[in-house]
Amino acid sequence: MISVVRSRFVTAALASSSPWKYLAGFLPNFSTSAEAAEAPSKKALLDLSEVEKILSDVKAGDVRVIPVRDQCDYTDYMVVASGRSSWHVRNIADALIHKVKQKQRGSDRLILPSVEGSEAGKWIVVDSGTIIVHALDEKARAYYNLESLWTKEASEKVPCLDLENALVKSRRRNNSKKPMKSVLTA
Amino acid sequence: MAARFLSKSSSGSSLLGALGTSLVGVGSVARQTTSKLTYSDIFFQQQRTFVQMGTKLKVVDNSGAKRVMCIQALKSKKGAKLGDIIIGSVKEAQPRGKVKKGDVVYGVVVRAAMQRGRCDGSHVRFDDNAVVLVNKQGEPIGTRVFGPVPHELRKKKHVKILALAEHIA
Repeated sequence: MISVVRSRFVTAALASSSPWKYLAGFLPNFSTSAEAAEAPSKKALLDLSEVEKILSDVKAGDVRVIPVRDQCDYTDYMVVASGRSSWHVRNIADALIHKVKQKQRGSDRLILPSVEGSEAGKWIVVDSGTIIVHALDEKARAYYNLESLWTKEASEKVPCLDLENALVKSRRRNNSKKPMKSVLTA
Repeated sequence: MAARFLSKSSSGSSLLGALGTSLVGVGSVARQTTSKLTYSDIFFQQQRTFVQMGTKLKVVDNSGAKRVMCIQALKSKKGAKLGDIIIGSVKEAQPRGKVKKGDVVYGVVVRAAMQRGRCDGSHVRFDDNAVVLVNKQGEPIGTRVFGPVPHELRKKKHVKILALAEHIA
């Protein structure tokens, strides 16, 4: 019964591709995204190769591209990249937006990808239709563990971490007069 | 009444509509209808309304809370719909979790019993009210989201919750 309901939503998702009207150029993309082995020649805001080039230019750490076309019906590729600090994460998002603006220079109407989470620089999502880029802090990446959601071989055990403590840099306060013992001397 | 539901409601929900409330424990299922509601349908169906102050919602992530009571729906005087953010008070929590009972938390409504219209004219309606806990900046507190979540979250800029979800309706 659940499978019946599920198939209905795949067709409904295709039929209701118009909720994503704000990405006005992608309606043809969504109607064809269900076909397997589609040739990547459709018009997109950013191609996968351009995204990879930008991420390597900005020196984003540990870039992973995961094709999720068979698992998700709302997007084709998930790109996960980590930044060394929140400024770096914000810089990654800004570099992608800048590249999109450059590509569309000269046209009268700009179609920009939507950016979420930019005021707190821990996890920024740049959503450009077929490609969704997740730019995370290194600690946030370990906390959320996004790759294990889409790749089957990762372990299912999720470490239980406190959100505030996981993402805050803290240094141990040494209130005593003795110096801190390092691991090597102990 | 069962025959009336079968004839009136369209799509895969008709099978479930006939069974009605005997489907306890199956979990929530989204229903979509495209037919026009007539007077006799309204007479037999419940009128679902917004998520407002006092609404008890289920928490569907692994943040540790189980039930949350809405104390304020942001952005609307009438109440929150699917995809809106609410402020809630944790009423029931798991013993070792990231939030505890009595905390005031923000949440995003991911399943609502009130139907929400989509651009193509269809409506989505779930069996229960469910919420995913978020912090003030919009980052989810938990790391996984259980159960179906609708597409409306993408338009509302909650792609993070969609990315953590296991099933998209």
